[in-house]
Amino acid sequence: MSRQDVAADRLLSLTLKFGAYTALVLTVAGLLLQWIVPWGVTVAAAGLLVLLGTPALRIVVACLQFLRERDFKYALVSFGVLAIVVLAYVLGIKA
Amino acid sequence: MTLTAVLLLVLIGFFAGGFGALAGVGGGIIVTPLLAIYFGLPIHQAIGVTLLCVIATSTATSSLYVERHVTDIRLGMTLELATTVGALIAALVAHHINRRTLAMLFACFLLYSAGSLIKKAWGARKEKREEAIPDYTPENYPLGLIASLIAGGFSGLLGIGGGPIKVPVMFLFMRVPLRVAAATSNFMIGVTAATSAYVYWGHGDVRIDIATPLVAGVFAGSLLGARISPKIRSFYILLLVIGITGWLAAQMIYKLLTGGFQ
Repeated sequence: MSRQDVAADRLLSLTLKFGAYTALVLTVAGLLLQWIVPWGVTVAAAGLLVLLGTPALRIVVACLQFLRERDFKYALVSFGVLAIVVLAYVLGIKA
Repeated sequence: MTLTAVLLLVLIGFFAGGFGALAGVGGGIIVTPLLAIYFGLPIHQAIGVTLLCVIATSTATSSLYVERHVTDIRLGMTLELATTVGALIAALVAHHINRRTLAMLFACFLLYSAGSLIKKAWGARKEKREEAIPDYTPENYPLGLIASLIAGGFSGLLGIGGGPIKVPVMFLFMRVPLRVAAATSNFMIGVTAATSAYVYWGHGDVRIDIATPLVAGVFAGSLLGARISPKIRSFYILLLVIGITGWLAAQMIYKLLTGGFQ
């Protein structure tokens, strides 16, 4: 395994952890707050949105990391995946 | 919703996330039938909510597998080209499939999963822990991409991760070590499920009140499960998951035969 791979793994792992813990904190906070204040549900919904956004963010981070490593083949692959995911988002909203 | 229902959902999420991290399955195949049978959710809504649980399990567990360098990021990203296309098409189609047909498909998938889990448990009887990963180069990309397209399709249709399809193909035909195949499949699931989840969300099939307690539970369960997984044997967990899967399959078939899921 090259040093670049180690750096990519660390960066992606950090992205996923950031998303996981943020969503966990927001959903738990929303769960508790919704019994106390009316905007608790909004906090919970924000947690779910962070959850939904994390996979997309993970693709963007991977794409940028591949560009930095000058690995254009996989940067293009990541960009392709991102394009399909964005298309799903757009079609989902229009549906 | 009552406090009891909320606590029950957190608990279901916790076990689903824990099983997902420890046995490699759980999120999808356990949550959807529980919501459809015991919470009376329409099957499309049950699947929509489950997709969020699947994303949560994948995000939480793969953050740790990637850190341990078990995941093949390049292989995962390549196969995601196919899983996302499959997921997108299937999620759009799923909306037009009637509830009973969807429930029937799900019941069939539960039975298939129970069968493949029994095989996995048989193999895990005497498994050794944490060997070093041998050198490998993935082969046979066309077959891997086709399998990924199908796995993505099942994900969009039934709200599952599709691991039971991708892992054997990567292991047997692409010559990827089993641990790498499992970790990479897990890594891909988050993006695949998110693709279909966007469509379900757009159709209004993601109930926030049900998803919130479930997702909180799933995160807690899978983060804990992934941490303790190197230390425990998966055999007994697999037996437990086989039992639950079999029971839920029987319940779904019974409900279908008695005219349920209308």
